[in-house]
Amino acid sequence: MERLRYILQDALVNIRRSGWGGLASIGTIAVSFVIVGIFLIITRNLGAVVAEWKEQFQVTVFLEDGITAEQLALVKKRIQSERAVRAMTYTSKEEALQSFKRELKGKESLLEGLGENPIPASLQLRIHEAYQTPEALRQFAAFLTRLEGVEDVLYGQEWVDRVASAVRVLRLLGLSVGLALGMASLLIVSNTIRLAVYARAEEIEIMRLVGATKTHIRAPFLLEGMIQGGLGAGLALLLLFGAYRATLWQLQLTPGQIFGVGVGSFLDPRWATAMLLAGASVGAFGSLISVGRFLRA
Amino acid sequence: MIQLFHVYKTYARDVEALVDINLHIQKGEFVFIAGPSGAGKTTLLRLIFRDELPTSGQILVNGRNVVKLPDRAIPHLRRSIGVIFQDFKLLRDRTIFDNLALVYRVLGIPSATGKRKVANLLKLVGLSHKVQMTPYRLSGGEQQRVAIARALMNDPLLLLADEPTGDLDADLSMDVMRLLGDINARGTTVVVATHDLDVVRELGRRTIVLKAGRLVEEHP
Repeated sequence: MERLRYILQDALVNIRRSGWGGLASIGTIAVSFVIVGIFLIITRNLGAVVAEWKEQFQVTVFLEDGITAEQLALVKKRIQSERAVRAMTYTSKEEALQSFKRELKGKESLLEGLGENPIPASLQLRIHEAYQTPEALRQFAAFLTRLEGVEDVLYGQEWVDRVASAVRVLRLLGLSVGLALGMASLLIVSNTIRLAVYARAEEIEIMRLVGATKTHIRAPFLLEGMIQGGLGAGLALLLLFGAYRATLWQLQLTPGQIFGVGVGSFLDPRWATAMLLAGASVGAFGSLISVGRFLRA
Repeated sequence: MIQLFHVYKTYARDVEALVDINLHIQKGEFVFIAGPSGAGKTTLLRLIFRDELPTSGQILVNGRNVVKLPDRAIPHLRRSIGVIFQDFKLLRDRTIFDNLALVYRVLGIPSATGKRKVANLLKLVGLSHKVQMTPYRLSGGEQQRVAIARALMNDPLLLLADEPTGDLDADLSMDVMRLLGDINARGTTVVVATHDLDVVRELGRRTIVLKAGRLVEEHP
């Protein structure tokens, strides 16, 4: 217990003495984590948008005007037995017209003179996510088109896929940039700690000679690295949060409004904690690199 | 307390620091290791607190074979030994108090106990009034006494002193020797390496003489 207190004191003394070097360490980690954090926020939000789209994604099957009740029943039955279909709703010609009118609010006059209702009845299909690949959808659409009484099939999957693959690319990019910056942070921390170790070389030598264990000698430096890393990551989170708030304010939005689909959020607590831990780990590892080489029995 | 059996130490390029040393030091003894510089005195001391390994031979300290000691057991050995280094090894940018406190922090002694210990030892070496000074402001003799106090911080069974009278004039040398004698009188085994034959002669303690790494004389 006593020893733990001494180790903590030593670590704090080290940090105080590290001065500009220590601040540079913390700053580098903060900058790296801000960049990684930006990628994280963007990919996580875009990912949520894609998930939302996939959730809401539907295939619309337009029916021929002359479809008979038996044909309709058969089409419904055939479609419902398909594994790709999660849910199905039927919209009659009349309902479709009403909802179209609602959308045209104030400009109903446009519809005058059309005489007979021009809008077809349709089936809206919710599709299981596993079947939302372009290939599966093309096959499914082909199957639907061949059904008796089906006029046309409408789906707009391609751009959802494009966004999804953009998210994948961003994630990959973020990962590689993150790794590169993580390495840079590691080297900077390791260098700062190495200077701290050199500055205390005499003291370490004396500690060794009066019977300090390696763990005891190493621990303050390890802690120093972890604190630097943690502070860097914490600073990054603060900066990111500030920037996030400022962006929302600039765009006159409240959280959750971006894209209008319940996303546009900051990093959730789990990710924020993960970033802090990652910062501390980078610091600890950088410290170990420096101290490990220095010590002998 | 200390037993050496056929101990050889050869550094790179066949520099023979110690050649076939056999030695037995009893618990509670006061022993001089005398000889000119380069005779192997410092090497001998460093072997005892396992700062170096012998090229061959066995060394027992307090019943333990330090040659076969695993790395993780070395700190434990060193905690039972006090060492006064030739160059003092004091931290120049710390106060005398901090220099001594370093030891109790390493040992994990609660700070209240540690502080009391520092105060007692500084009283013993007569430096209580300089506790907040840095070594810069102390004379050579005073620094030597700080080094002695630090070596006693862990209540060692064995005290090794490497040229404790190195740069001191005759009077101060005798002061330091008297202090080491007092420590020995309280039960600590004391081994002093020195080139100062006047001091050795005057004290008439058991003396082992090294020359070019060989044990050439032993008296009485």
